[in-house]
Amino acid sequence: MIEVWHLIIGNPVLNVLIALSHILGGSFGSAIIVLTVIVRLVSWPLTKRQLNSTKALQDMQPKIQELQKKYGKNQRKLQQETMKIYKEAGVNPLGCLWPMLIQFPIWIALYQAIMSALATTPESLLGLAQRLYSWEVVNQAIPLSSNFLGLDLGSSGNFILAIIVGGTMWVQQKMTQAPAVDPRQESTQRMMTLMMPLMFGFLTLIMPSGLALYWAVSTIIGIITQYFFTGGWGYLKFRSPFQSTPATGK
Amino acid sequence: MKQAKILVLVVIALLPLILVSCASWGTQAAGGWSGTAVHEGVIYTGTRDGRVVAINSSTENLEWSYSIAPVTAPSGGLSCGDASVPTAIYGTPVADRDIVYIGTYGGQVLALNMLARSQNLSFPQQRYGEWEWYCPMDNARSNAIVADLIVSEGAIYVSSSNGRVYSLDKEFGDLNWESEILDEKHRKLWTSPVIQGNTLYASTYDGHIYALSLETEELSDWSFELEAGFSSSPVIYEDTIFLGSFDRYLYAVKIGSDVPIWKFPQEEPAGNWFWASPVINEGIVYACCLDGKLYAIEAKTGEKLWEFDAGNHLVSSPVLMDNLLIVIDKSGTVYVFDLSAELEGEAMPLRTISIGDAVSSPFCAQEGLVYIRSEDNWIYVVDIDKGGVSWKVSLSIEE
Repeated sequence: MIEVWHLIIGNPVLNVLIALSHILGGSFGSAIIVLTVIVRLVSWPLTKRQLNSTKALQDMQPKIQELQKKYGKNQRKLQQETMKIYKEAGVNPLGCLWPMLIQFPIWIALYQAIMSALATTPESLLGLAQRLYSWEVVNQAIPLSSNFLGLDLGSSGNFILAIIVGGTMWVQQKMTQAPAVDPRQESTQRMMTLMMPLMFGFLTLIMPSGLALYWAVSTIIGIITQYFFTGGWGYLKFRSPFQSTPATGK
Repeated sequence: MKQAKILVLVVIALLPLILVSCASWGTQAAGGWSGTAVHEGVIYTGTRDGRVVAINSSTENLEWSYSIAPVTAPSGGLSCGDASVPTAIYGTPVADRDIVYIGTYGGQVLALNMLARSQNLSFPQQRYGEWEWYCPMDNARSNAIVADLIVSEGAIYVSSSNGRVYSLDKEFGDLNWESEILDEKHRKLWTSPVIQGNTLYASTYDGHIYALSLETEELSDWSFELEAGFSSSPVIYEDTIFLGSFDRYLYAVKIGSDVPIWKFPQEEPAGNWFWASPVINEGIVYACCLDGKLYAIEAKTGEKLWEFDAGNHLVSSPVLMDNLLIVIDKSGTVYVFDLSAELEGEAMPLRTISIGDAVSSPFCAQEGLVYIRSEDNWIYVVDIDKGGVSWKVSLSIEE
């Protein structure tokens, strides 16, 4: 199982990362950034679908607000009608999760690649020999330096990076999160919007900084793409009508 | 909608678990690969649980064992605190008169008196000549000691992960001097230096060979530079340094010259790194490669004389015993070559003996016996003449 994983995903990511590092003058951090851009380009069809979905959600806001006015007191009906509109438009409000799920193997492979490539222990360095291709550009680059802009990419616990990762992730979530149609959904969404950035902020503290660098750059690219594709900050400045009134759920 | 919510919760819950559970696929913890040394009938080695042990080779019994103080290290995974873990030992103990010297991954150098340890006295017993030295962290950089200690008549030379070489007083463990940082980029001085005359030669992962004068404590004007880093410790034979590189070549560098005399293989690179230091005997370089091949190379010209394919990684350096060359592959198979025989082309070993246990450590050989420490924390004593394991002993502490 591990061998198959390494053969298909782990080793290609590792070797491309090391080769990029050598091409970019031995800067492992720059290699991570370039790889992030490559991953974003490869996953562009998915991202585009997600952005289209976000834009469609934005466009149907007037209709949803109308429904809120009409069925404000009947939450069940409001939810049904809203879902009907979503369905008619072919939009899934939580469709943004799929690109994230598809990126999972890349995250895992990248995490392993960072830890393997930096070879923090002698065993890791020796183990690296079994996973490298015979490319000259790869062998010239080994072993790698873990320093990048004052960061040690192989170590964890960088608070500034954790804030950047958590903050950018929150902004991106807010930009894409469609407004809730009832107070209960509103509270779930609010929890999600907070949970994911907090989770990634925490992961940044316990995972190598190289992986956090990938998350930060990837999210920033996502925000920029989103901004230009949907023509603005999306729902970032949107204030939910349920925030001001106490939610009864009835 | 309900399905989507469940999906969100599953994603949030599984993300850290997936990342953490996959951690072991990418990195390996520091366990140590201390080799064996035999001195006056006693085998010395460092164990994977952070002990230095002495085993009587005649009685096959443990003479003494000393547990080095554990080190604190990040516990890893989802817990944020530090944990106390046994210090890993990579260097092979050096026995000199009645003292055993050892360096640890925790940055300590210890001088252990054999008598004091056999009496299990508290450490260090200064009246027995025992001492302990801690390598400085140097700007929060690791002080781990991976390379073998070099013990000379009056001093001990220590290569540290912080990139410096330290000279210690052999008797008291006081710091004599420290070199400047030899590898600023990696700060991993994991290869052992070698001394010839009054000069210490050190190879680095950033592709340099430096010469350090032991008289002036200064770097010499001469240094050698290669684009790729050096993977093995240097070996000197007739004013030429032989060492392996991460670019999959073995290099011969004349001291004082800026260009290598030769590199091996002469055309296409080998199948992997020359991780282990070569040994040189009567003008022939014997080099083990991680591609599983043992090469015999003419020291002056770099011409290949013969080769042998073990089919498994050759991690440990070969060892010479009289006219025999001994090689062990990662799977624990011992190959014995008779150098007095005319070997050429695809050479065949005189004997092949399997110990049935993985080996990554340096080993030693004396009087027809090969002393091997396995990855499973056993000592195997292989009898070359009898063609099998003579005896073995577990280094693990019995519960």
